Amino acid sequence: MFEWKLALEAIGMVIYATFMGFIFMGIERKAMARIQRRVGPPIYQPIIDTLKLLGKKESVSHGFIYDFGPVFALGASIAALLFIPLANFQLFSSNADLIVVAYLLEVPMLGIMLGAMSSGNPYSAVGVQRGLLTMVAMQLPYGLALIAIAQYWGTFKLNSIVALQQLHGWSITVPALLLAFIVFDIVFQAMLGLEPFDIITAPAEISMGPMVEYGGKHAALLFTQHAVQLFAETAFFAVLFLGGASNLLELLIKQIAVLFIAIFIASIYPRFTIDQAAKFFWKWPTILGIIAVILAGW
Amino acid sequence: MNELMIMLFAPLIAGFIAWALDIRGIREIVGVIGAAVPLGILVKYYPTITSKGTEGIVQTINVGGFHLVFQLNTLTWYFAVIASLVGVAMAFGMASTSKNSYEWLFALMSYTGVLGVFLSGDFVGFFLFWEIMTFASFMMVLRRNKHESLKYFVLSIIGAYAMLIAIGLLYAKTGTLDFNTIRQALYMDAMIGSISRGEMALIFGLFVTAFGVKAGAVPLHVWAPGAYSEVDQSYTTFFSGALSKAGAYGFLLLYILMGVKLVSALGVWHNHMLFAYIIAWIGAITVVVAGFLAVLQEDIRKLFAYSSVSQVGYILLGLGVGTPLGIIGALFHVLSHAVFKGLFWLVVAALILRTGKTKFEDFGGLAEKMPVTFSMALIAVLSLAGIPPMAGFASKWLLYEAAINAHMPLVAGAIFLGSGLAFAYVVRFLYAVWFGQRPSDLEDVKEAPLPILIGMAVLAIPNIVFGIAPGLVTKYLNGLFSEPVVTGDYFKLVTTNGTYNALLVTILLVFGLAVAGIVFIYGAKTRKVPVTDTYQSGNPVTEDYNLSMRRHFYRPLAEALEFWLRYSWDRFYERLAGLAEDFADTLREGIYNGNVQSYAWYLAIILLILALWGVL
Repeated sequence: MFEWKLALEAIGMVIYATFMGFIFMGIERKAMARIQRRVGPPIYQPIIDTLKLLGKKESVSHGFIYDFGPVFALGASIAALLFIPLANFQLFSSNADLIVVAYLLEVPMLGIMLGAMSSGNPYSAVGVQRGLLTMVAMQLPYGLALIAIAQYWGTFKLNSIVALQQLHGWSITVPALLLAFIVFDIVFQAMLGLEPFDIITAPAEISMGPMVEYGGKHAALLFTQHAVQLFAETAFFAVLFLGGASNLLELLIKQIAVLFIAIFIASIYPRFTIDQAAKFFWKWPTILGIIAVILAGW
Repeated sequence: MNELMIMLFAPLIAGFIAWALDIRGIREIVGVIGAAVPLGILVKYYPTITSKGTEGIVQTINVGGFHLVFQLNTLTWYFAVIASLVGVAMAFGMASTSKNSYEWLFALMSYTGVLGVFLSGDFVGFFLFWEIMTFASFMMVLRRNKHESLKYFVLSIIGAYAMLIAIGLLYAKTGTLDFNTIRQALYMDAMIGSISRGEMALIFGLFVTAFGVKAGAVPLHVWAPGAYSEVDQSYTTFFSGALSKAGAYGFLLLYILMGVKLVSALGVWHNHMLFAYIIAWIGAITVVVAGFLAVLQEDIRKLFAYSSVSQVGYILLGLGVGTPLGIIGALFHVLSHAVFKGLFWLVVAALILRTGKTKFEDFGGLAEKMPVTFSMALIAVLSLAGIPPMAGFASKWLLYEAAINAHMPLVAGAIFLGSGLAFAYVVRFLYAVWFGQRPSDLEDVKEAPLPILIGMAVLAIPNIVFGIAPGLVTKYLNGLFSEPVVTGDYFKLVTTNGTYNALLVTILLVFGLAVAGIVFIYGAKTRKVPVTDTYQSGNPVTEDYNLSMRRHFYRPLAEALEFWLRYSWDRFYERLAGLAEDFADTLREGIYNGNVQSYAWYLAIILLILALWGVL
C-alpha cells in the first residue's frame, strides 16, 4: 500500500525546508553584516545566487565522481531531513533513531569531500583535510552530548524524545542536559562551518576549500545542499534540546533562535587553526560532555 | 565419509597438492576449490543449523589417545561461514597475486587452522588448531620479513604459553578439557566457590593475554601492523578478516565457558560485570589508539593494518558490553569487518600488483585507470565509514545502542571518536590513491586481473546485502539466545528503545539522489576538463609539479597529538627486547668466556650442588 499522504508531506517538506534554508542563509549574511555595521545583502540573496548559478550556460566537470559528489551530498541531506520529526509532521521519524539521524547528517560531508577530492585542486585537498580533522576533533564531544540525551530520556527514538520533553519539560531545563546543550552548541558552530570553526572553508586562506573548484550547476547543488542541511541541523537541535515543536511556526522560531546564537558567536570570534581547534574540543567540551553523561546516567 | 572432517581438512589437502604439483594454473584451481569446499558444506548445513530444537552436529575422532570433539552449532557455524567466505575471496585474490606454491600451502594451512579453532569442542583440538593457525601465518610473514615475523612469533609464543597455563589450571580444577563439561563444572562451582577469586582472576588474565594477542588488542597489538603488511596482501584478507576473529571468538568462549563463574568470582562494579567491563575498556582503548595511529600512517598497508586493529577493538568492545544486544552487535561486526576489511585488503593487493608501490606519496589519480577496483574500494569505504545503508553501519548501530543501553557512556564515546577517525583515514586513502594528479610513472597502469575482481565481488555483495537487509543476520543471531533480542523484519531492526529501517533509508537516499539528479540532469551541460585545469589564483599548473597533497596529509593532527605521540608501545617493546638482548649478552660473555678452567669450575660446582641435594 502506498501512502500518498506521507509522500506528499515529504515532498512538501523538502520544498519548504529548501526555501527556509535559503532564508536562513540570507538571515545569516544579513545579521552578520548588521553586526559589522554593513548594510548587507537582501535576505533572499542566496536564492537569487542559486538561480543565477543554475542559469549558467555551461559548467566544467572533472569527471564522474566530481558530478556525483554534490548530487550525493544533496540526496543524503534530503534523506536526513525526512527522518527528523518536524513539528506536527512525523514524516519517517518512527523508522529511524537518534544515531541513524546523527550519521545521516554526516553523510553529506562525504559527498562534498568526494567531489572536492576528485577535482585535483590543492586548495580543495587542504579543505578536505581540514574538514575531516574538524570532524575527528568534534566527534567526541558531539557523541557525548548525544549519549547524554539518550541516557537521560532512556530512548533513541526522536519522536519519543520530543514527547517526553513535552511531558517533563525541555531538555535544557535538566542540569545534566544543560551541560550537554552547551557542548552541543559549541559543536554546532563546527557543524554549520561558522567561526571559530570555519576552518574548512576559510575564505581568506584557502578560498572556500572544498568548494573552490565548483561553479555553475554544481555550485547551485551545493548551495541547495547547504540550505537543506542548515534547516535539518537547526531542526535536529530544536528537537533534541528545545522540546521540538507542535507546529511549523513554533519550530521556525526555535530554529531561528538557534541560528542567532550561532551567528552571534560566529561574529565575535576569530578562526582557530586546526590543531588549536582539536586541542580545544578535546579539553573543555569533552570535560563538560563527560560530566554531562555521568550526571545523565545517575 | 565424515563431512565435517572433509570441510576441516580440504584446504590443507588442497594446499599440499598445490605445493607438491606447483604447476601454474592447476595450483590456482586446486587452491580455489580447496577454499570453496568448506563454504559449500557449511551452506549445505544451513537448514540443519537453523531448524528448531537441534543441538547442532557433533563429531568425535580419536587422535593419539585424545578424543577430539568437533561441533557445528549456531555460533560455530556463524564464525566458520565467515572464515570460509573470506577464505574463498582470499583464494581468488591469491590466484592473481601469488606466484608461489609456498604461499598457497601455508595460506590454506592457516585456513584449516582457523576452521579447526572455530569448530573444536574441547581445549585439545582448540589449542592444536590454534597453533597450526599461528604457525602457518608465521611462515607467511617469515617469507617476506624476518624482523616482523620474529615480533609476531614472540608475541604469539607469549599468548600460546599463557593459554597453555590457563588450560592447565582449568584442567587441574575441573579435571576435563571438554567445553561442555568445563562449562557445567564452572557453573556448579559458581555456587560452591571452590576455585578462589585469585585463581579465577589468574585464569582470566591468562586467557585475555592469549586471545588479546591474536585479536591485536592494545597493548598487545604491536605485531599486527608489521605482520599484516609483510605478507601477500591477498592473504592479509584472510589474516585480518578471519584469523584475527579467532581472538574475538576466544573472548566469546570466555563468556560461554566461565561467564557465570567469572561474575561470581570477580564481582560486579557499578552494575557492570567486572570482567566484561575490563574487556569493554580494552576494546575502547584499542579502537581509539589504533584509530589515531591509522590516521597518521604514510604507508597504505600500515594504514589498513592499524585500521584492522581498531575495528577488532569494536568487536571486543561489543563483547565487553556483555548484554545480549552487545554480543549480537559484536558478532554482526565480526561479519561486517570480515567483508569490508577483506575487500580493502584485496583492493590493496590489486594496487600493489599493478603499481608495485605501497607509499601514499607514490599513488594518485588511479580512479580513471582502475574503475572497477575503485568502485569496490568505494563500497568498502562506505561500509567502513559506517554510511547507512551498508553492513558496517548496521553493526555499528547495534554497538552504539548496546553500549548506551548498558550505561557505558564513555565506552560509547570511544565508538563515536573511533568512527570519526575511521572516516578520516578512509577518505585519506581515497584521496591519495584514486584522485588528484597522476604521477607520470602510473600512466600505463591496467585494471586488476579477473580472479581478484571475482574475489572482491564475493566480499562486496555481502556488504550491500547485509546492509540493506541486516535482519538476515540478526534473525540468525537471535537463535543464540532463548528470546529474540533484535526484533523487526529482514529490513528493519528494532531494539528495546531504538529502531533502524535500512530499506527505508535506502529508499529515501535514492529519492534524495533522484531529486538532486533531476536538478543536475536538467541543468546546464557540462564540459570535461583535465585535472590540471583548476583554480590556482593565477598560477599556471603544469605536469612538472604534482600539487596533490599526499605526504603527511594529517600533519595538523600529529601536531595536536605531539605530547601523546612521544609514547609508543612499539618503542617500549623494542627497548624491552634490547634490554633482554643486552642482559643475555652479558651472561654469555661472563659465563661462556672460552676459558677451560672456568668451565671445569662450573662442572665442579654443579656436581657439588647435586651431591648436596642427595642426587649423587
